[in-house]
Amino acid sequence: MKQKIGLIDYGYAGNTFNIKKAVLKVAPRAELSEVKTAKDLHEVDKIILPGVGAYRDVMHNLADLAEDIAGAIKKKPTLGICLGMQILSQKGYEFGETRGLGIFEGEVMRIPVKCRVPHLGWAPLDILRESRILNGVKKEDSFYFMHSYEFMNYKDLVSLSVYGEHQFVSVVEKGHVFGVQFHPEKSREAGLKVLENFINF
Amino acid sequence: MERVRIIAKLDVKPPYVIKGVHLEGLRKVGKPEEMAVKYYEQGADEIFYVDCVASLYRREILYDLVRETAGRLFVPFCVGGGVKTVDDAAKLLHAGADKVLMNTYAIANPSVIKDSARVFGSQCVVVSIEAKKWGDKWECYTDCGRIRSGKDVIDWAREAQDLGAGEILLTSVDCDGRKRGFDIELTKKVSEAVNIPVVASGGAGTAEHIAKVIDEGYADAVAVASILHYGEATINDIKGHCRARGLEVLS
Repeated sequence: MKQKIGLIDYGYAGNTFNIKKAVLKVAPRAELSEVKTAKDLHEVDKIILPGVGAYRDVMHNLADLAEDIAGAIKKKPTLGICLGMQILSQKGYEFGETRGLGIFEGEVMRIPVKCRVPHLGWAPLDILRESRILNGVKKEDSFYFMHSYEFMNYKDLVSLSVYGEHQFVSVVEKGHVFGVQFHPEKSREAGLKVLENFINF
Repeated sequence: MERVRIIAKLDVKPPYVIKGVHLEGLRKVGKPEEMAVKYYEQGADEIFYVDCVASLYRREILYDLVRETAGRLFVPFCVGGGVKTVDDAAKLLHAGADKVLMNTYAIANPSVIKDSARVFGSQCVVVSIEAKKWGDKWECYTDCGRIRSGKDVIDWAREAQDLGAGEILLTSVDCDGRKRGFDIELTKKVSEAVNIPVVASGGAGTAEHIAKVIDEGYADAVAVASILHYGEATINDIKGHCRARGLEVLS
């Protein structure tokens, strides 16, 4: 069966080029479309929340669609990438307090480290429990992070990573919803593996 | 210590990658879409792509060439050249860039940094500083090291950070293309002045030069061009040398 994957369109800031190209690399037959309306949401099997933008602007752009997205996520396998993972939280503080989609309990705060922010670079995952999204990922595999904010959640943790001697949440899972703080579409073979796992889920 | 990124930098004058000395006297060295893939396969942690003539010729960057290059990479891709407005930045992101570089027009109109950071997040906005030494200070240049701006490099680096820039690409115009080493003092001063990552650029002639700007200039990442283009070292050679010097790099 051909899979239909909907990429949530944040409007102006939205950037789906890189995710499309990476998904098509691991699943050439997948059908990818941009989700702009509630009707678009009905037509897809899985959802990806891409990772470019700022929390406040993205939530404002989604406006009324946010409720429909939250509803659809309850039923359909979903992968949130970077900011896309962050907006799955209850609220964020980038450019002011903003309500998120509320799928995961937790908030998104600025990374509390003394060293340079944003965190731009490669880091491995300290995997605390098995997750289908990390099938085949090895201990030495590194992933690319680009973020100034981090996901504060202690209930649905899958892995932690380290920046500036500070541990932050790098992967979360709750039922059929996954969030990754890194960019799988920018993390070489290991990242493509994560996308493949999502396709195979 | 954090892992230092080794970045392959492509200076592009469409349809070719070029390389000169002091950002001038430009020689063709290959095609961007092919060289980007070569460095990706060599193990580059990121690829930077700078259209060197866009702002000089007062034209837009060539999006098709950016898209063509981006389509083959699965590592971060930072692109700049002629970025004037938030719209230009959006177009680059849509063409496959992960980060957008700005210089010439950001100096003339700093609010483009602020507006872009607000829409795309700071992690997407990289300010490119072309620094030339005058006495004991450095001045920012624009249009690929050709035009003086009158701005002090350290002041501008701080201002760019305050406006929301998430990274600085710091090129020493004096050292660029000469392969005699980086301007360590410049890199150190800028690194100490800001709290966002600084990418050192201009002057890599040997792997040791690269290790030195990390060690003594506190660079968070290093952009390399000439020695890669002329086959004098590969990304792996550079990383091997850095590791032997006790510096953390991604294997």
